[in-house]
Amino acid sequence: MKVFIVPPNSLILFDLVERFGHEPLSTMQLIQEMVDNLEIDSPPLNVTPDDVKRGLKYAGIEVPSGIRGRLAVWSELFEQADATIIMEDAPYAFGCVGCHRTNLILNYLLRQRGMPLLELRYPLDDEEAMTMVLQVKGFLGGLK
Amino acid sequence: MIERETRLLVISPTSDITPDQLTRFLHAMDLPITIKETCYGAMVEGDPDTIHRVVDGARALDHNKIFSKRRGYPIGDTRRCRAHHGSRPGFTQLEAEWHDLGRIELGLDCCDRGESVPEPTVDHRVPINRLREIIKEVTE
Repeated sequence: MKVFIVPPNSLILFDLVERFGHEPLSTMQLIQEMVDNLEIDSPPLNVTPDDVKRGLKYAGIEVPSGIRGRLAVWSELFEQADATIIMEDAPYAFGCVGCHRTNLILNYLLRQRGMPLLELRYPLDDEEAMTMVLQVKGFLGGLK
Repeated sequence: MIERETRLLVISPTSDITPDQLTRFLHAMDLPITIKETCYGAMVEGDPDTIHRVVDGARALDHNKIFSKRRGYPIGDTRRCRAHHGSRPGFTQLEAEWHDLGRIELGLDCCDRGESVPEPTVDHRVPINRLREIIKEVTE
Protein backbone atom coordinates (compact mmCIF):
# COMPACT_ATOMS: atom_id res chain seq x y z
CA MET A 1 0.00 0.00 0.00
CA LYS A 2 1.04 3.59 -0.53
CA VAL A 3 1.87 5.32 2.74
CA PHE A 4 2.26 9.09 2.93
CA ILE A 5 4.85 10.16 5.49
CA VAL A 6 5.05 13.40 7.46
CA PRO A 7 7.66 14.98 7.41
CA PRO A 8 7.47 14.10 3.72
CA ASN A 9 11.25 13.82 3.33
CA SER A 10 12.06 11.90 6.50
CA LEU A 11 14.84 9.32 6.19
CA ILE A 12 13.64 7.41 9.25
CA LEU A 13 10.01 7.06 8.13
CA PHE A 14 10.91 6.39 4.49
CA ASP A 15 13.21 3.57 5.53
CA LEU A 16 10.80 2.04 8.04
CA VAL A 17 7.84 2.05 5.63
CA GLU A 18 9.91 0.44 2.90
CA ARG A 19 11.53 -2.04 5.31
CA PHE A 20 8.09 -3.20 6.48
CA GLY A 21 6.92 -3.87 2.94
CA HIS A 22 4.97 -0.82 1.81
CA GLU A 23 5.58 2.00 -0.64
CA PRO A 24 6.49 5.31 1.00
CA LEU A 25 5.20 8.47 -0.69
CA SER A 26 7.83 11.13 -0.18
CA THR A 27 8.74 14.55 -1.51
CA MET A 28 11.83 13.14 -3.16
CA GLN A 29 9.96 11.30 -5.90
CA LEU A 30 8.07 14.49 -6.80
CA ILE A 31 11.30 16.47 -6.85
CA GLN A 32 12.73 13.84 -9.16
CA GLU A 33 9.82 14.25 -11.57
CA MET A 34 10.30 18.02 -11.52
CA VAL A 35 14.06 17.67 -12.04
CA ASP A 36 13.71 15.16 -14.86
CA ASN A 37 10.67 16.47 -16.72
CA LEU A 38 10.23 20.19 -16.10
CA GLU A 39 12.42 23.09 -17.13
CA ILE A 40 12.54 24.92 -13.82
CA ASP A 41 15.73 25.99 -12.10
CA SER A 42 15.71 24.51 -8.67
CA PRO A 43 12.70 22.50 -7.54
CA PRO A 44 11.12 22.56 -5.00
CA LEU A 45 12.25 26.14 -4.41
CA ASN A 46 10.83 26.92 -7.86
CA VAL A 47 7.40 25.66 -8.84
CA THR A 48 5.25 26.18 -11.93
CA PRO A 49 2.28 28.62 -12.00
CA ASP A 50 -0.01 25.61 -12.30
CA ASP A 51 1.31 24.25 -9.00
CA VAL A 52 0.40 27.44 -7.19
CA LYS A 53 -3.07 27.44 -8.74
CA ARG A 54 -3.58 23.84 -7.69
CA GLY A 55 -2.84 24.91 -4.14
CA LEU A 56 -6.05 26.97 -4.20
CA LYS A 57 -7.95 23.72 -3.83
CA TYR A 58 -6.60 23.42 -0.29
CA ALA A 59 -6.13 27.00 0.92
CA GLY A 60 -7.73 30.36 0.10
CA ILE A 61 -6.17 33.09 -2.04
CA GLU A 62 -5.32 35.14 1.06
CA VAL A 63 -3.04 32.34 2.28
CA PRO A 64 0.64 33.00 1.45
CA SER A 65 1.78 31.53 -1.83
CA GLY A 66 4.50 29.54 -0.05
CA ILE A 67 1.87 27.55 1.79
CA ARG A 68 -0.23 27.02 -1.32
CA GLY A 69 2.85 26.04 -3.29
CA ARG A 70 3.90 23.46 -0.72
CA LEU A 71 0.41 22.02 -0.46
CA ALA A 72 0.17 21.85 -4.26
CA VAL A 73 3.40 19.87 -4.44
CA TRP A 74 2.42 17.49 -1.65
CA SER A 75 -1.21 17.15 -2.79
CA GLU A 76 -0.14 14.85 -5.63
CA LEU A 77 1.15 12.48 -3.00
CA PHE A 78 -1.54 12.54 -0.35
CA GLU A 79 -4.27 12.30 -3.00
CA GLN A 80 -2.98 8.82 -3.89
CA ALA A 81 -2.15 7.70 -0.35
CA ASP A 82 -3.83 4.67 1.21
CA ALA A 83 -2.52 5.43 4.71
CA THR A 84 -0.53 8.08 6.54
CA ILE A 85 2.09 8.24 9.26
CA ILE A 86 2.53 11.62 10.93
CA MET A 87 5.58 12.18 13.11
CA GLU A 88 5.00 15.30 15.20
CA ASP A 89 7.68 17.59 16.60
CA ALA A 90 10.47 16.50 14.30
CA PRO A 91 13.32 18.80 15.36
CA TYR A 92 14.59 19.16 11.81
CA ALA A 93 11.32 20.44 10.41
CA PHE A 94 12.96 23.46 8.91
CA GLY A 95 14.64 24.13 5.58
CA CYS A 96 12.59 22.90 2.66
CA VAL A 97 9.82 21.58 4.90
CA GLY A 98 10.07 24.51 7.25
CA CYS A 99 6.65 26.09 7.22
CA HIS A 100 4.77 25.31 10.40
CA ARG A 101 1.46 26.66 9.07
CA THR A 102 1.74 24.38 6.04
CA ASN A 103 2.44 21.46 8.33
CA LEU A 104 -0.66 22.28 10.41
CA ILE A 105 -2.88 22.52 7.32
CA LEU A 106 -1.34 19.34 5.90
CA ASN A 107 -2.01 17.41 9.11
CA TYR A 108 -5.59 18.75 9.17
CA LEU A 109 -6.19 17.69 5.56
CA LEU A 110 -4.77 14.24 6.24
CA ARG A 111 -6.98 13.74 9.32
CA GLN A 112 -10.02 14.81 7.30
CA ARG A 113 -9.45 12.17 4.63
CA GLY A 114 -10.51 9.30 6.85
CA MET A 115 -7.72 6.94 5.82
CA PRO A 116 -5.76 4.81 8.30
CA LEU A 117 -3.56 7.23 10.23
CA LEU A 118 -0.79 6.78 12.76
CA GLU A 119 0.31 9.78 14.80
CA LEU A 120 3.65 9.61 16.57
CA ARG A 121 6.02 11.93 18.34
CA TYR A 122 9.62 12.21 17.26
CA PRO A 123 11.55 9.93 19.67
CA LEU A 124 13.78 11.76 22.13
CA ASP A 125 15.26 8.73 23.90
CA ASP A 126 15.84 5.01 23.37
CA GLU A 127 12.56 3.93 24.99
CA GLU A 128 10.50 6.25 22.81
CA ALA A 129 12.36 5.12 19.71
CA MET A 130 11.70 1.45 20.45
CA THR A 131 8.02 2.16 21.03
CA MET A 132 7.83 4.23 17.87
CA VAL A 133 9.34 1.53 15.67
CA LEU A 134 7.06 -1.12 17.19
CA GLN A 135 4.03 1.13 16.63
CA VAL A 136 5.02 1.70 13.00
CA LYS A 137 5.49 -2.03 12.48
CA GLY A 138 2.13 -2.81 14.09
CA PHE A 139 0.37 -0.15 12.04
CA LEU A 140 1.90 -1.19 8.72
CA GLY A 141 1.33 -4.86 9.50
CA GLY A 142 -2.38 -4.16 9.97
CA LEU A 143 -2.82 -2.49 6.57
CA LYS A 144 -4.52 -4.65 3.96
CA MET B 1 7.67 5.26 -15.94
CA ILE B 2 10.61 6.48 -13.88
CA GLU B 3 13.84 5.39 -15.49
CA ARG B 4 16.30 6.30 -12.79
CA GLU B 5 16.29 6.06 -9.06
CA THR B 6 18.83 7.73 -6.85
CA ARG B 7 19.26 6.55 -3.27
CA LEU B 8 21.11 7.69 -0.21
CA LEU B 9 22.56 4.86 1.87
CA VAL B 10 23.16 6.17 5.37
CA ILE B 11 25.28 4.26 7.87
CA SER B 12 24.13 4.44 11.49
CA PRO B 13 26.65 6.02 13.92
CA THR B 14 26.62 2.75 15.88
CA SER B 15 27.86 0.74 12.90
CA ASP B 16 31.47 -0.37 12.43
CA ILE B 17 31.12 -0.20 8.66
CA THR B 18 32.86 2.75 7.03
CA PRO B 19 31.64 4.52 3.89
CA ASP B 20 34.70 3.12 2.14
CA GLN B 21 33.78 -0.46 3.04
CA LEU B 22 30.20 0.11 1.95
CA THR B 23 31.32 1.53 -1.38
CA ARG B 24 33.70 -1.38 -2.00
CA PHE B 25 30.87 -3.80 -1.18
CA LEU B 26 28.59 -2.03 -3.67
CA HIS B 27 31.25 -2.13 -6.37
CA ALA B 28 31.73 -5.84 -5.67
CA MET B 29 28.06 -6.45 -6.48
CA ASP B 30 29.05 -5.72 -10.08
CA LEU B 31 25.77 -4.14 -11.10
CA PRO B 32 25.22 -1.40 -13.71
CA ILE B 33 24.87 1.48 -11.25
CA THR B 34 26.65 4.72 -10.41
CA ILE B 35 28.13 4.83 -6.91
CA LYS B 36 29.43 7.82 -4.99
CA GLU B 37 31.05 7.57 -1.57
CA THR B 38 29.93 10.25 0.85
CA CYS B 39 30.61 11.23 4.46
CA TYR B 40 27.43 9.47 5.69
CA GLY B 41 27.62 6.39 3.48
CA ALA B 42 27.05 6.33 -0.24
CA MET B 43 24.77 7.39 -3.04
CA VAL B 44 23.70 4.95 -5.72
CA GLU B 45 21.89 5.54 -8.98
CA GLY B 46 20.50 3.22 -11.62
CA ASP B 47 17.27 1.69 -12.82
CA PRO B 48 14.73 1.10 -10.02
CA ASP B 49 14.84 -2.72 -10.02
CA THR B 50 18.61 -2.81 -9.76
CA ILE B 51 18.62 -0.14 -7.07
CA HIS B 52 16.17 -2.14 -4.96
CA ARG B 53 18.54 -5.11 -5.16
CA VAL B 54 21.40 -2.85 -4.15
CA VAL B 55 19.47 -1.43 -1.19
CA ASP B 56 18.50 -4.91 0.01
CA GLY B 57 22.12 -6.00 -0.29
CA ALA B 58 23.40 -2.97 1.58
CA ARG B 59 20.88 -3.49 4.39
CA ALA B 60 22.00 -7.10 4.71
CA LEU B 61 25.63 -5.98 4.96
CA ASP B 62 25.10 -4.59 8.45
CA HIS B 63 21.76 -5.68 9.87
CA ASN B 64 19.52 -2.78 10.98
CA LYS B 65 22.41 -0.32 10.74
CA ILE B 66 22.17 0.87 7.16
CA PHE B 67 19.24 3.04 6.17
CA SER B 68 18.07 4.34 2.84
CA LYS B 69 15.91 7.00 1.28
CA ARG B 70 15.39 8.36 -2.20
CA ARG B 71 16.94 11.52 -3.52
CA GLY B 72 15.29 13.73 -6.12
CA TYR B 73 18.40 15.14 -7.76
CA PRO B 74 20.79 12.88 -9.67
CA ILE B 75 24.30 12.24 -8.37
CA GLY B 76 26.64 15.13 -9.17
CA ASP B 77 23.87 17.53 -10.24
CA THR B 78 25.55 20.94 -10.34
CA ARG B 79 22.65 22.55 -8.46
CA ARG B 80 23.25 20.35 -5.42
CA CYS B 81 26.73 18.81 -5.62
CA ARG B 82 29.18 20.48 -3.25
CA ALA B 83 32.00 19.88 -5.71
CA HIS B 84 30.28 22.48 -7.89
CA HIS B 85 29.48 24.73 -4.90
CA GLY B 86 25.82 23.75 -5.05
CA SER B 87 23.52 24.38 -2.12
CA ARG B 88 22.58 21.38 0.02
CA PRO B 89 19.44 22.48 1.88
CA GLY B 90 18.51 18.96 3.00
CA PHE B 91 21.78 18.20 4.74
CA THR B 92 20.87 19.62 8.16
CA GLN B 93 17.91 17.28 8.27
CA LEU B 94 19.95 14.32 7.14
CA GLU B 95 22.52 15.06 9.83
CA ALA B 96 19.82 15.37 12.51
CA GLU B 97 18.26 12.05 11.55
CA TRP B 98 21.66 10.36 11.25
CA HIS B 99 22.28 11.16 14.95
CA ASP B 100 19.14 9.21 15.91
CA LEU B 101 19.61 6.16 13.70
CA GLY B 102 21.16 4.22 16.60
CA ARG B 103 17.86 4.55 18.47
CA ILE B 104 15.87 3.38 15.46
CA GLU B 105 18.19 0.40 15.27
CA LEU B 106 17.20 -0.53 18.86
CA GLY B 107 13.56 -0.46 17.77
CA LEU B 108 14.26 -2.67 14.78
CA ASP B 109 16.09 -5.11 17.06
CA CYS B 110 12.92 -5.22 19.23
CA CYS B 111 10.93 -6.10 16.10
CA ASP B 112 13.38 -8.89 15.31
CA ARG B 113 12.87 -10.29 18.81
CA GLY B 114 9.13 -10.24 18.23
CA GLU B 115 8.35 -7.76 20.99
CA SER B 116 4.98 -6.05 21.01
CA VAL B 117 4.07 -2.43 21.65
CA PRO B 118 4.25 -1.66 25.38
CA GLU B 119 1.05 -0.70 27.18
CA PRO B 120 0.56 3.04 27.44
CA THR B 121 1.54 4.47 30.81
CA VAL B 122 -1.20 4.94 33.39
CA ASP B 123 -2.69 8.41 33.56
CA HIS B 124 -1.69 9.93 36.89
CA ARG B 125 -3.92 13.00 36.73
CA VAL B 126 -5.76 13.87 39.95
CA PRO B 127 -9.38 12.57 39.88
CA ILE B 128 -12.01 15.29 39.86
CA ASN B 129 -13.47 14.29 43.26
CA ARG B 130 -10.05 14.41 44.89
CA LEU B 131 -9.49 17.81 43.26
CA ARG B 132 -12.77 19.05 44.81
CA GLU B 133 -11.61 17.88 48.24
CA ILE B 134 -8.26 19.62 47.81
CA ILE B 135 -9.94 22.87 46.79
CA LYS B 136 -12.26 22.62 49.80
CA GLU B 137 -9.34 21.97 52.17
CA VAL B 138 -7.37 24.91 50.80
CA THR B 139 -10.23 27.40 50.74
CA GLU B 140 -11.68 26.56 54.14
